Amino acid sequence: MTGRRTAICALALAGLLLILSWHISVGAKAIPLTTVVQALLFYDDTIFDHVVIRDLRLPRALMAVAVGAGLSVAGALMQGVTHNPLADPGLLGLLAGASLAVVLGTALGIGSAAAIPPLAAFGALVSGAVVWSIAMAISGGATPMTLVLSGAAVTAFLTALTAILLLIHQTVFEALRVWLTGSLAGRPDQVGLWATGWLLAGLVTALGVARKITTLAMGEDTATGLGVDVAKLQMAVLFSVVALTASAVALAGPMGFVGLVVPHMVRLIIGYDYRLIVPWAAVVGATYMLLADIAARMLLAPIEVSTGLITALLGAPIFVWLVRTRL
Amino acid sequence: MSPTFWRKLDGRVTFAVPLRALAVFATLLGLTFAIILASLMLGSFPLSAASALATLAGQAPSEMALTVVWEFRFPRTLTAALAGALLAGSGAILQTVTRNALADPSLVGVSQGAGLAVVSTLILFPETHAGLRPLLAFGGALFVTVLIQAIAMRSAGGSTMRFILTGIGFAAFLGAFTQAMLTYGDLDHATVALRWLAGSVHAANWESVLVLAISLSVLIPALIWAARPLGAVRMGHEIATSLGATVHRDLALLITLSVALAASAVAIVGPLGFVGLIAPHMARRLARSGPGLHLALSLATGAMLVTGADLIGRTHFASVQIPAGLVTAIVGAPVFGWLLLFGRGR
Repeated sequence: MTGRRTAICALALAGLLLILSWHISVGAKAIPLTTVVQALLFYDDTIFDHVVIRDLRLPRALMAVAVGAGLSVAGALMQGVTHNPLADPGLLGLLAGASLAVVLGTALGIGSAAAIPPLAAFGALVSGAVVWSIAMAISGGATPMTLVLSGAAVTAFLTALTAILLLIHQTVFEALRVWLTGSLAGRPDQVGLWATGWLLAGLVTALGVARKITTLAMGEDTATGLGVDVAKLQMAVLFSVVALTASAVALAGPMGFVGLVVPHMVRLIIGYDYRLIVPWAAVVGATYMLLADIAARMLLAPIEVSTGLITALLGAPIFVWLVRTRL
Repeated sequence: MSPTFWRKLDGRVTFAVPLRALAVFATLLGLTFAIILASLMLGSFPLSAASALATLAGQAPSEMALTVVWEFRFPRTLTAALAGALLAGSGAILQTVTRNALADPSLVGVSQGAGLAVVSTLILFPETHAGLRPLLAFGGALFVTVLIQAIAMRSAGGSTMRFILTGIGFAAFLGAFTQAMLTYGDLDHATVALRWLAGSVHAANWESVLVLAISLSVLIPALIWAARPLGAVRMGHEIATSLGATVHRDLALLITLSVALAASAVAIVGPLGFVGLIAPHMARRLARSGPGLHLALSLATGAMLVTGADLIGRTHFASVQIPAGLVTAIVGAPVFGWLLLFGRGR
């Protein structure tokens, strides 16, 4: 059993690396895979392609990895803790809240590189809390359906607010227009550094609590009986989800449905043990995001489509399928 | 609240006269006219009420007033009123048919279906005549609605909640597809499409008014017909069947009517959000009434809401014009949350 597991693990990582190299080789000028590998292993700044790879292609690929891993782990945690197969940072309003907070911060002139991830985290936290409390207040409580409906309403509201802000502040609109559709096309490196810090904090927390989430899946009473401090666990999960969502939004804007789709794929492959789901969601999510970004650049080449559109086009049918089969 | 009874022939014939509902209807119409008048007066070239009315009557105080009122403000506010009425009627029927208080053409993918049909035509075949847009929008919306119904249905029967959730998924998918279309398209055509997509009556002219007025006058007989089956459907499908209604045929016709109403509005002003959701609810809360009068009340409320939203969006933020679609979303989303909290429609 362990042997098989190691083999699958090695296979997944090899797949991730292969797709990462493919991602780097695709672009305005196709670069052969051998050159990509050479540039990654034996960098030579006299070769033009190597410079392109290191300065342009590799940062984008790493960004895709970070965003995919972050959103997928956030989605997995949300689905695990709330027993809700439709939980996703986008569907439950977190992405819209984080985006609005970033736009607002930029419009007010406090959107420095260091400030953007905490702004996004604050927005995600507030909108998530609003969505949750609306759903809780409905008779019947926070079921998957009421959560998604309340999330859709809050998202529509926040998106309209964001659009109005952008109409009023033309300069912010110019700066954030592409980012708001979910794009990996460009964000200054500074934000990337700060966002990575938040991402790592979220991932470490997620790995730390993964074992207890498996216990929680058996029911809150069972988990308490087994010695899990449920309230403390929920706080840790909340922190992790918010930090991961914030870093993903700070890097690439709102990318819908990634956090919904990837955890379901992972559970199909490896079952319900969150000790495995969390790292797997990170790897599969990163691969998924790389593939989506490759599609975004190849679909209508030479024009580039926003990656967020690709994730929505892939994710929405899966959402409909989940609604049809799970509810 | 209770209707006044009007008795004839020593009480052998009794009519229930919903006085309150009629009074509310008159008030709503009055308010709508007041807002239309205000829209004629307010703006970067302010006019007094007297001169606005004089301009309408054909005695314009100045050349400028004539242009401003007849070329810009009047067609615009009429477009808003007509589109609002159409969307509200669509929402009222959709809510009754799906027996779900949360149904709204812009939330469950109907508007997005119409939107995708129109945007793809705008971008791929820019020469298509604008008069064909309502038909295209209707085709797209109807196709999407049928698809959503088919998917939401299971052998165990359909659930209206699943219909709405499936619609949300479709709305996301079609929205992304439309966006991709915009990226692909030629910049000029894309800009036209983009302005249309924001849900704006900004570019309205007499042609828009004409198209909407024709749609409404064609659909009004259908709306009058709809009152009867809606009354039956309200009681539940089983009771309606036992009362002798041909439920399946009626439901199909009602949904088609709802889609036609939404599509003709969306074709001209783009997907204006949440009007179809709020207007029927406001109408229901303002006065208890039968299905026919409720439809009329919804239409009047919708007209009032969108003219009001356009007036606020146009004048309140000074130099920037906020599309009416955004204003309706800002007003509509809190109402939606409130309905989730206190609504009985779940």
